[in-house]
Amino acid sequence: MHLTYLDWGIIVVYLVGCMSAGIWMKRFVHGVEDFAIAGRAMDLNLGIASLAATELGLVTVMYTAQLGYTHGFAGATIGVLMAAAMYLVGASGFVIGPLRRAGVMTIPELFQKRFGTRVRWLAGLFVVLGGVLNMGIFLRLGGEFLVAVTGMNPKWLEWVMTLLLGMILLYTVLGGMLSVLVTDWLQFIVKGAGIVVTSILVITSLGWTNLVKALWICFDGTAESVGQTLKAHPFNPVHPTSFGWTYVLWQLVFQIAVVTTWQTTIARVLSCRDEGTARKMYRRTAFYFVGRFALPGLWGVAALIYWSQHGGLPADLQGLPVNDASLRATPAYLGVLLPMGFIGLLLAAALAAEMSTDSGYLLTWATVIYNDLIAPCVKRPMAPKTKLFITRALVLAIGVFLLFYGLWYEMPGNAWDYLAVTGNIYLASVFTLLVAALYWKRATRVGAAAALVLGAIGPITFLIVNKVVPVDKQISPEMAGFSSFGLAFVGMLAGSLLSKPETADATQPQVAV
Amino acid sequence: MIIDHLFLIFWTLMIFLSVAWYGFLLFYVGFKGGREILELTRTLDSQSPPAETPPESKT
Repeated sequence: MHLTYLDWGIIVVYLVGCMSAGIWMKRFVHGVEDFAIAGRAMDLNLGIASLAATELGLVTVMYTAQLGYTHGFAGATIGVLMAAAMYLVGASGFVIGPLRRAGVMTIPELFQKRFGTRVRWLAGLFVVLGGVLNMGIFLRLGGEFLVAVTGMNPKWLEWVMTLLLGMILLYTVLGGMLSVLVTDWLQFIVKGAGIVVTSILVITSLGWTNLVKALWICFDGTAESVGQTLKAHPFNPVHPTSFGWTYVLWQLVFQIAVVTTWQTTIARVLSCRDEGTARKMYRRTAFYFVGRFALPGLWGVAALIYWSQHGGLPADLQGLPVNDASLRATPAYLGVLLPMGFIGLLLAAALAAEMSTDSGYLLTWATVIYNDLIAPCVKRPMAPKTKLFITRALVLAIGVFLLFYGLWYEMPGNAWDYLAVTGNIYLASVFTLLVAALYWKRATRVGAAAALVLGAIGPITFLIVNKVVPVDKQISPEMAGFSSFGLAFVGMLAGSLLSKPETADATQPQVAV
Repeated sequence: MIIDHLFLIFWTLMIFLSVAWYGFLLFYVGFKGGREILELTRTLDSQSPPAETPPESKT
């Protein structure tokens, strides 16, 4: 381990502070609404801290740093597109405005108002499957970051992450969204400090001009002894060697779907005092998402330069598949770069990133399971204490499931394909339903069911096709993504136009559109 | 290529503005968010159901 007493001190102070604040909030929880959406009492700056903290996890840092390592500065293009999407949605109120006005607790709850209970239940199932399976990978990747930075024995990874998840579960089960908000605020500060300090250290260690020159040398192949270590153009995202126009356009559409549909983001919208606060929160948080990609991306760029100038990756990474090696290159570089005390700060920031994301996600998916899968099936109204007990038990159950599914049990086959498919099913289906529910009066429950089914069939078909055809003939992610959204929209259009419009009493009162 | 230089200027701006923005939010949201937490707990305290009082003693 590279840690000194100072590093340990920083980590212990952070953990004790975080746990105390989280557990303290339990006293304010009196019902499911307090537990799931903080009694809709969240104000602007707490919303910014919570939204930013939840969506910047350790897994995000790993991927965005990897994008910097493989695509140079152009790897942050997705962050710029996400920020643009978030700002546009915040400025226009597209989806989030009517969603907040509808007074629902989850997205599927809105679908019941337009399309009935069955569509709500099916959409809830898609939301939960996509969300929980997506989260399954967080613990292991987060653990690998900690192993690489600290030099910890990899055999401890499972035990350290189990202990961390235990702490997260303790305050999330007790205080729900109230604990999540307060700990998110603390974690936002610790994480922000870690990111700023690390980025400044990275820039000053090389000097900005040297960093830019060295990055270009990695691309043009004149790096001594190692040749071309960067295959993609480091600055231009639409260059043929980089993402290209189609991918960039696809990402713009994808990010609009993410910021209007991803339940953990929407949970913050629904927790806000009012629509104005929610829209302002989006506008003010938007630029944070540029840094979410650009700053870890900068670390990835510096890692690429460092390892290129030192004869290649360290010995323990050289035998790994290319994708795994590029994922671990940045944490290994940070372990070398950061001096005593700064590693402690980076680790506290890393723990904050992991904890804020995990707690927010656990709570969100538990709320959807309770609100949209269990509650609609219960005939008699439940007592508030029973509702609260069930939601808390669900948070705990998801935590236990993740321990075994994501940490102690290694999935056979390519887990990434699995996650990409579940994510696409979720976004294509739910985004189509949301837009139709809010903006198209002619949408019917038949159209909604068709959109859900076609939105699922598309990604599954692409997965199967890509398994059986040669690599050079495989469907690209952007084509698969565009087609999934297209199929879901076609399902909604055809299903609605070919079925009779529902009468007002067929479903519950219509949402104000 | 001019386009490469323009992209380089763009990314330089994005990275330095991100460092500055993260640094600013650290203090701004840190301070204002802390005050909002206190306000939130006061609001929730005032909305909380009254504690059950024990039945009066007969003596």
